[in-house]
Parts: sequence; C-alpha cells; structure tokens
Amino acid sequence: MKKMLAMALVLMLTLTAAACAETFKMGFDAEYPPYTYMGDDGEYTGFDIEMCKKVCEKLGWELELVPINWDTKLMTLDMGEIDCIWSGLTIDVIDPEAYCLSTPYSDNSQMILTRADSGITTLSDLAGKKVAVQLGTSADLLLQGDQKALADTFDGGEAVKLPNYNDCFAQLEAGAVDAIAIDIGVAANKIAVYGDEYVMLDESIASEKYGICFRAEDTEMCKQVEDAYMELVQDGTYQALAEEFGLDVSALCLLETEGE
Amino acid sequence: MRILEINHCRKRFGENQVLNDISLSVEEGQVVSIIGPSGSGKSTLLRCATLLETMDGGELKYLDRAAVREENGRAVYAPPAELKKIRQCFGLVFQNFNLFPHYSVLRNITEAPILVQKRKKEEVYAQAKELLKKMGLSGREDAYPYQLSGGQQQRVSIARALAMQPKMLFFDEPTSALDPELTGEILKVIRDLAAEKMTMVIVTHEMSFARDVSDQVVFMDGGVIVEQGAPEIISNPTQERTIRFLKNFAR
Amino acid sequence: MAKMSLGTMILKMSEGLGTTCGIFFLTLLFSLPLGLVVTLLRRSRLGVVRGITKVYISIMRGTPLMLQLMVVYYGPFYLSKWISKTFDVTFRLRWSGDVLVPIIIGFVLNYAAYFAEIYRSGIESIPAGQYEAAQVLGYSRPQTFLRIVLPQVVKRVLPSVTNEVITLVKDTSLAFTLGCMEMFTLGKSIANSQSKFTPFVIAGVFYYVFNALVAFVMARLERRLNYYR
Repeated sequence: MKKMLAMALVLMLTLTAAACAETFKMGFDAEYPPYTYMGDDGEYTGFDIEMCKKVCEKLGWELELVPINWDTKLMTLDMGEIDCIWSGLTIDVIDPEAYCLSTPYSDNSQMILTRADSGITTLSDLAGKKVAVQLGTSADLLLQGDQKALADTFDGGEAVKLPNYNDCFAQLEAGAVDAIAIDIGVAANKIAVYGDEYVMLDESIASEKYGICFRAEDTEMCKQVEDAYMELVQDGTYQALAEEFGLDVSALCLLETEGE
Repeated sequence: MRILEINHCRKRFGENQVLNDISLSVEEGQVVSIIGPSGSGKSTLLRCATLLETMDGGELKYLDRAAVREENGRAVYAPPAELKKIRQCFGLVFQNFNLFPHYSVLRNITEAPILVQKRKKEEVYAQAKELLKKMGLSGREDAYPYQLSGGQQQRVSIARALAMQPKMLFFDEPTSALDPELTGEILKVIRDLAAEKMTMVIVTHEMSFARDVSDQVVFMDGGVIVEQGAPEIISNPTQERTIRFLKNFAR
Repeated sequence: MAKMSLGTMILKMSEGLGTTCGIFFLTLLFSLPLGLVVTLLRRSRLGVVRGITKVYISIMRGTPLMLQLMVVYYGPFYLSKWISKTFDVTFRLRWSGDVLVPIIIGFVLNYAAYFAEIYRSGIESIPAGQYEAAQVLGYSRPQTFLRIVLPQVVKRVLPSVTNEVITLVKDTSLAFTLGCMEMFTLGKSIANSQSKFTPFVIAGVFYYVFNALVAFVMARLERRLNYYR
C-alpha cells in the first residue's frame, strides 16, 4: 500500500525547477462578469479576457485560459499552474512583498445594490437589514475590516455570506436579503440586465483598485504586460472594450491619467 | 485399526478448565457416542479433535499420524502441510449444517473434492449423485440450501462430508437445530451409516438412539470423562453423576 | 441580455459531463478494489499494519474530501518548498499533466476508505460456521476467502455500496476545488453570466438521470444475486 502510493507519486509528480512556460497562462474566475465569464457562445470572455488576448497578441505569446478556483488562487499561482491572476482582482489586499503586482487598470468602488422598491437610499438605512456578500470578495473583507462598524448595524451584526454572486442575486430577487455589497462593475452590469428593478446607493463603502498579480520573481513578465497594456490604452482598445462590457467609465483609471 | 487417538487432552478458556485429561480412542468401524450435560466440554472435545480449536496439552493422532504431540507439558501442532493431510482423514457434520448458501446442493458437495482433493469432475459428480440418492435427495441437485427443510439441509451436509471419502465422521449434535419431527430422518441416515460400518463419533442428546447405535458410550461432565463403556451404561449407569444426569434427562 | 441558446447550454454542460463521468468511472474502477485491499490490511495479523490502516481510514472519513483534494494537489508543492527552504536545496514537486490525475487520486483514496469499512462490516457479518465448514473441508485461507466469504460479502454489501456510488455521482462537483471544469461548475458559470436558473435545472436533470442509471444497474446486480438467501 505504502509502496503503491510512493510509486504513484513518483510517476505522477515531476521534479521541476521554477515554472518556465511557453504559453502565457491566465488564471481567472469563470463566474465574474463582466470581467471574466462564459459568453453566450460558451467561450470565456469579459473585459479582462479580451484585454489579455490583445496583450498576448502584441507580445506574440500564446494564451491559455485557465479557469481557477478563486478560493485557492494564490496557491495555484505559486504552484505555476497559472502565470498570473487577471480577473477583477483587488490588489489592495495582496501582499506586494510576496507577489508582483501590476499598475492598477481599474478603480473599483464597492457599492450597495438593492431592489428599487426597498426604500433604502443611504448607508444608514441598512441598519437592521440583511446584506449579502460573496464569500472572500473584497466587499466581504471590507465589511469585516474597515467597514466593520457598518456591518455591525446589519441584521445579525454581519453580512450574509454566500458562495457566489449568483446566490446573492437570487436571494436579493427572492427578498431573502435586502441588499448586496458588491463591486461597482458587477452592480452596473446587473442594473443593465434588469433595468430599473435594482438601484445602487450613491455612497460607496470603499474604493479599490483592480490589477494583475504575478509571482514575485516574474517582474520582467509583469513589465512586458504593463507596457503592452499601456499601448492598448493609447490606441483606444481599452476604452472600447470597457464600453463593450459595460464598465463604468469612471473606473477606468488609466484613461484618467492619459487625459491629464 | 485405530483411527483416532486422543491422549490427556487439556483445554482451558481463561480460568475455566473445559477439558481436563481426556483420553479417547476410536477403532475402525466403531460408533462412539458422547453424552453429557451442556457445558460438560463434549463439543469442545469435538472441536479440538477436528482442529477447529487448539488444545493446550495432550496428543492427537489419526491413523498413527500425529496432529498434536506434547512437549514439556504443552501441545505442539504438526506443520500446516501435515495438518492439511490429516484433515482429509475426517469429516464433520455441524449442528447448524453450515452449508454454503450461495452454492447449489451439487456444488456444496462437489467443490471440495474437486478443488481440494483434485479429483476428476465426472467421478465426483457421479459419487455426489449416488450420495444424494442414498440421502433421499435425488433430483434436488440444483436446489439452493434456503429452498430445503432443515432435515434436508442436514442430509446435504452429511453428503458433503462423505464426498470427501473420510476415514471417519464427527457429528456435533446433528439433530439439535431440527424440529422433533425432522430428527428421525437424520437419525435414520446415521443408523444406515453405522450399518455400513462407518467410523463415527457423535455428540448427542438422543439417549435411546445413542444406546441403539453405539459400540461405546462416553459420559462427560465438568471437563472429564465420568464413565465410559458399552451402550448398556445408559440403561445401567454406575457413576452417581451419570445416574443423576440420566434421571433428569428422562423427565 | 440572456442570449445563450438552450442548445449551447446543454452542449457546453455535456462537455463537462464527460469530465464528470471520467471522474466517476475512474474513481470506482480504482477505489472498489483498493477498498478490498484496505479491508484486508485493516484485518492484518500485524498490529502496525492494522494501526496505520485504521489511522488512514479515520483521516479519510474524518476530514472533508475537498480538503483531501487540496492536500493531494498542493501538498507536494508546499512540502518541497518547505524542504528547499529548510535544507537549502532547490527542488519543486508539482503535478504535471492533466489535473484529473490528482483529482482521481484524491477521490480514490477517499472512497477506498469508505468502501473498506463497508466491506469490513460485510466480512464480519459472515457467520464463523462458514469458515469452519470450509476449514474442515480443507479449503486454504485464500480459497475460503475468495470462494466462500467474498461472494456472500458482495451480496450483503451491495445496498451500502449503491448508496456510496450515488454519493460519488454528486461528489464529482467537488473536483472544481482543483479548478477542474466539470459539469456542475460549467453550469454555475453559465448561470452566472446568463443570470438564469436553467443551467441548474439542466444539472439537476443530468445528475438525476445519471443516478437513475446507477440505481437501475445496481438493482439488476442485486436481482442477479437474488438466487440465494
């Protein structure tokens, strides 16, 4: 038994030095529209995926799209299964010592989404209400950290944690929760789908930045991607894709610097 | 010819001395009945003799081949290969039949001769048919044990033991698990075997049957042989304990 | 906005169903016999072997399958990293090739432990008289086990095995822990992008039909073994 196990391990595990990939493996969450998700034709798409395709085109790299388990994204990156995490990743919460982080490409606020008929118009209206978050997202971390005081006023003294956004929306739709704490891009996307059934509160609970995360030693790769990305900003691809995927223009922080 | 010889057999379970210095020998063609109250050690003696239980001390011999010999007061068993050969000398019929439920009657009888004794299939099948006829079970070859009555199952298990062509047969209370009306058919089969001069050791509670069929009767109590001799001791016991047991039994 | 056709959804999820079936069949293929080996080790005459097997079974049953998958997958890498750091050498162990391999290994190790316990209860339910009858007739130990005990065990454990197999069908969705896009995960990502419940209904139908097939096959097997009691 032990022998068998050992043999299996030797067979299946290979001794490798640091990963040196021919292809650029982009790790993403397949359930994070409009940044990364499955399109109507069953192929992965989204703002980040399309930008990444263009970046790889510019650099002459072959792109491999790798959907990952978001809960173990950093482990997957460490192991070399992917070369970067590029999926509406809030880089503020990642240790810049341990990983190589790109310049942020999107400024993403955390917002409150609620039903239009809920009567909630300000953050203080959330007192005693049920507010859902996707487990492990920046909204979740925020409500346990900087905005804990706000979360304390919720029904139950904390946000309702659900495994994914779909569950959050389903519960909001069903009236099981009164509001969702969520990234602005995702919220805007939902409002675009459902029209005026849902509203976003004017006040944000935090402003955060999206960037691309690489392994600490891959600074060269990070630099190349950043440069190619900037070219796409300059030739208008960045803005065009942002519009195509319904991102809030105010979030496009690279554009702002460009405008100045 | 002496088939079985047990000398000074001892066995204890924890503090309980179940067998204390038991000696017994069985000659070819003899029928020996072992009687006695429950807990007297008669079943344990049978299990020691059939190698299902290990004895603590004493000797066990089949046809002068030693299965167990005594060394420094402890029982020493023969090597596995020798024990395997010795097992071929005897058959055992259990109280609960212990037929293999997933095998048909025919396969219950024939598998061991073919598999263990490596005998020819045709010969074994012919013998099995013969044995079933003798047991009054002709035509039931393809039945499964659950489809048979207790008495029929016990007859199949006797056929299974006989198919191995043993030098002698042990019966461990062969009728105790049967309804009274079914015991007769088993006793008749054993009587027939006795008439054919089959060597047998029978642990039983059927006193009149033991008296009729046996050449020798052994009365055991408290792990020792209290009285032993011709079947007449059942009618005229000499030992006080035997008298008491038989008196209780008659009631 | 929801524009994916039902056909595309079903097609896409069917691709994942291939992975799901692969995990299912390969897990059964290896774990059913491995479970038997584990049971035999669990009943070994060597105390050490028994002890190790007991610990293995209790870990497999006492921790979530999701965690075990992560340990199988990430364990070697982080262990090699730690060794490299501690002993000042450089080497990295990681899984190469298809992620299905560590997934199947994780599933097999887990399910073998459950099957082993089912087999054990089956073996222990065989009356001592069966062993004794076989011994007196001269069957060797392997012959007794393979011809007398095992066939009866199979019949006795079949209902429990069926339960476990049906659980396995549903557990396949845990493969996503290691980023494997099996049927349910694909369904979730479609549901997410399309804001529709349909993919879950499709997933439900797939699982139900799959399990109905499993139940049908197992019922036939049980009937085939009904020739004796």
